[in-house]
Amino acid sequence: MPEPRDPLAQRMRALPGLATLLAEAEQTWRDRAASAGCGDSESGKPGWRTFEDAFPTFYEFTNRPR
Amino acid sequence: MYWGGSVSQAWTGMRGINDVPSYVIMQPTTLCNLDCSYCYLPLRAHDRRMPVEVAQAVAEAVNVWAGDAPRFSVVWHGGEPLAAGREHLAALMEPFRGVEHHIQTNATLIDDAWCEFFAERDIHIGLSIDGTRELTSQRVLRGGAEAYDRILRGIDTLKRHGLEFAALCVVSDPRPGLAEQLYGFFVELGATVLGVNVEEQEGVNLRSNAHSDDAVRAFWAELTGAWRRDPRVEVREVEWALRYAGATLSGDPDALLPRRHDPIPTIAQDGRVVLLSPELAGFSSPKYGDFASGSVLQTPLARIVADAAAGPTGWIAEYLTGVESCRSVCPYFGFCGGAHAANRFFEQGRFDGTQTQHCRNSKISLLEGVLDHARAA
Repeated sequence: MPEPRDPLAQRMRALPGLATLLAEAEQTWRDRAASAGCGDSESGKPGWRTFEDAFPTFYEFTNRPR
Repeated sequence: MYWGGSVSQAWTGMRGINDVPSYVIMQPTTLCNLDCSYCYLPLRAHDRRMPVEVAQAVAEAVNVWAGDAPRFSVVWHGGEPLAAGREHLAALMEPFRGVEHHIQTNATLIDDAWCEFFAERDIHIGLSIDGTRELTSQRVLRGGAEAYDRILRGIDTLKRHGLEFAALCVVSDPRPGLAEQLYGFFVELGATVLGVNVEEQEGVNLRSNAHSDDAVRAFWAELTGAWRRDPRVEVREVEWALRYAGATLSGDPDALLPRRHDPIPTIAQDGRVVLLSPELAGFSSPKYGDFASGSVLQTPLARIVADAAAGPTGWIAEYLTGVESCRSVCPYFGFCGGAHAANRFFEQGRFDGTQTQHCRNSKISLLEGVLDHARAA
């Protein structure tokens, strides 16, 4: 578990506007999950019709054993 | 640069290699009918097709893995996979059971018959286009003519058949003023998902990928703003950065990285298996050899993967050392999981270095650009 000294995390927590941006993103993910019938429309977690679904070959952000 | 000194946090993900992949990458042919100026593939002018025996050997392992997993993907890459022809590609796909097939295509060969082929097999389609005609001008036919009209014709055919597609876009010159136009293009095009690859210096593409950090950050910040205003298209990079930011604010960013590396077996046309980094397939070096961990024609794929996971050797062991170096010094490790193997090799000539230009363009500047947008909005 990262310690609180993580400078990047500290910057992010102190960043004005980030919480609002994230709230909007989570609403987008909820809407997407609801319309596509996948994912978790309650939690706002991205569902399976996501970029992992679209690009399993491009491991830029997808080196994720499922 | 954005980092300095050691990092105090103890990231726990990406330690070692998983002994089961979640997908495999198949090269049905080395041939591509295009000759894009930034392509990294060395044998794209040659039509060396994968024998069916190779696919059968791969399927022996994959069908077991797929039976034990909720999803398992077989990704047909290339070369241009459609250049293998429908009959041969069908024969290569036939041995697989319980998997989802993906094709990454340049779209120029897509016609009604291919669309029927995709629909019959429920194939996930990713295609490559870099934006407007001007922005896609590096995607050319052999002989140098633009491929743009053929790409659009293929996309129109997909749409006519009601087939969804994701798009991969190479950006050679990330800069302010570009992302807004780019995002609008992909909304109009009707892509479901957009992946943005800042051009990489790898393989036979020796062009430098060094850019001004400020320009690249501004590009990502602008893309974040465009997506935020109209989030119809999933944008892989921006949304991944937001997932990381969300995990950080909720106090558990360490949970985002996988515990171990997915081995990502890439099966070259001749059956050789390259793990972890598809871009290394087809290359060799005096120091590291051909980067292959074996051939499915000689050793079962499951054993090749299990052996590499249990006792990594050669370049893979060196790469894992490099990942540990990233873990110890880079504050962005929790976001990125360590510089990719191919970028290390093609930029630095070794696998145990740390920050690459690709890290700066596509990880560090990406995250900082998304944060810049949040700060300015």
